[in-house]
Parts: sequence; C-alpha cells; structure tokens
Amino acid sequence: MPVFRWGHSWDAFRDLEREVDRLLQSVNLTFQGFRFGRQFPSLNLFELEEEYLLTAELPGIRVEDLELTIAGGVLTLKGKSHDTSAIPEERYRRQERVRGVWQRAITLPERVQEEKLSAELNLGILKIHLPKAEAVIPRQIQVADGDSSSVQAERGASPVATSNNQPTIRHSTTKSIPIE
Amino acid sequence: MSQDMIEQRPDKPEEDVAKETTEPRYVFTPPIDIFETDEGLVLRADLPGVTAETVELQVQDNKLTLFGHVAPYVPEGVKVLHQEYGVGDFLRSFILSDEVDHERISAKFNHGVLEVVLPRAPKPEPRRIQINSQ
Repeated sequence: MPVFRWGHSWDAFRDLEREVDRLLQSVNLTFQGFRFGRQFPSLNLFELEEEYLLTAELPGIRVEDLELTIAGGVLTLKGKSHDTSAIPEERYRRQERVRGVWQRAITLPERVQEEKLSAELNLGILKIHLPKAEAVIPRQIQVADGDSSSVQAERGASPVATSNNQPTIRHSTTKSIPIE
Repeated sequence: MSQDMIEQRPDKPEEDVAKETTEPRYVFTPPIDIFETDEGLVLRADLPGVTAETVELQVQDNKLTLFGHVAPYVPEGVKVLHQEYGVGDFLRSFILSDEVDHERISAKFNHGVLEVVLPRAPKPEPRRIQINSQ
C-alpha cells in the first residue's frame, strides 16, 4: 500500500512551473516596459526564413480604430477598443474585456527593413510582417578553388549597404503602415 | 453578483478538456462582458481567430456553452522568439436562469467578437386558481 499518494500533488508543481514561466517571460527586455504586469495587446514574435512575424489578438477592433506607426526603429501600436459609453456602467453584470484607448511601443529587432513592413487584421488577429534585411538572410558563400589560395565571400548586389547609409533620414520621419 | 447567469467552472484543469482531439490543444477561457438591456441580457465574448463557422453555441437544459475553434494562423514549425499569449481554442459555459427565454437566444459574430442576445422570458400572468367547494 502506498504511503504517499502522488496523484494530485503534481498539480502544485504545474502551477509553480507556470508561475516561473510567467516570471521569466516578464524579464524579457526586448519589449519595452514589459516587466510589470501584462500589457495590452499581448504579442507573439516568430522568426521565419525571410521575415519576423508579430501577432496580436485584437478582437472587435476595426482597422479604422487601429494605428501603426514606425519611427527610429520603434513600432507603435495604438488603438481604441469597443465603445462602451452607450451602455451605462450599472447595467454591466460582468466586465472582463479590455476597453478604452491603449498603446504599446516595441523596439524592433535589428536588421529589419522598416520601409517594407506590412500588416493585416483578420478575425481580430493582427499580423505584422517584418521582412529581414538581406544581410540577415543566410546566403551561400562561394569557396574559391584551392589553387588560387584565397577564399572569396561573394556579396550579392548590395542594396543593404546603401540602405544602411541613410537610416538617419528614414528615422526622422514617422511612417504609417497601411493595414489591409 | 447576479444569479441570472452563473458561470460553470470546469472541474478538471483546462488542458484536459481538449484530450479527445487527435493532437493536444490548449483551451482558454475567453474574457466576456455581460450587460443588461430592457429586453434581457447581452453577452459578448472575445474570440480572436474564430469565425462564425468554427464557433459552437449550445444550450442544453439550462447550460449555455460556447466553444470556438481557432485555426492555426502561424506557419507550423516556426521559431518562437517571444510569446505573451498562447494560441488554442476557447471554451466557457454558463448556467442560465429561468428568467432567460431559452428558445429565443440569438447570436452574431463580428471581427472576432461573439455577441449572444439572451431575451428575458415573459413573466407568466398571475393565474387565479379556482377553489371548488365540496
């Protein structure tokens, strides 16, 4: 006969694990100000081969109530959630959904082609495509034949270099990203 | 807190609910608003990623269950760099009071928000009971 019954005691560990996960997540410094509490909207960031993909859950938010701007490597999401003013406060039995005006700024990962950002809002999910700068996309390096005794790294056409020369001009202007 | 709609909390941890599907999926409790109108109650639930075709709304006995299936919208196998929210299906259920007219419940779906209209049942007219004397 077992003396200890482990049956449900693991649930406690699961809670702990979740809590630690949460704490660790909030230490991430890539996202400004995400150290205390939860910001709205919550964001996920994925890395694909040629782009980064940023997703957010924005249910009920229409394209005209959403504003995305980019300036100096900082992407700002600004928006207005559903208008509740038509319904008097005392009529609410429960209110859990986010409302009002919100804003969130994210420092973009390095080496993103800011001018090529695109975004779409569909079924309450916002997707922002951040194409990687060409320098980040892995590229084949040609190795020269041993006879010439030199290794040559082939650089493609270098629009990267030129775009790197003018970030100050680009950063000084705020650009709105059209949302599909 | 009103007794018109009592939320039913699942007895089991949320992850267990989705066990019957072929692949493990997470199930989340969507945030909701409930407010009163002159005609009854209105429930709004945030279900991002759910469409009118993938939402199931069920009334059985006095239990209202809403389930929203979210189709994956991020290519499979991509590298996650940062995650603040989980992606999965949505499930929440409520106990309706007799005050709600179960037959006339209607719902619509818009931009990831489900709106359920729960009309109040008409109050039965007072009925006079005839007393027969023997």
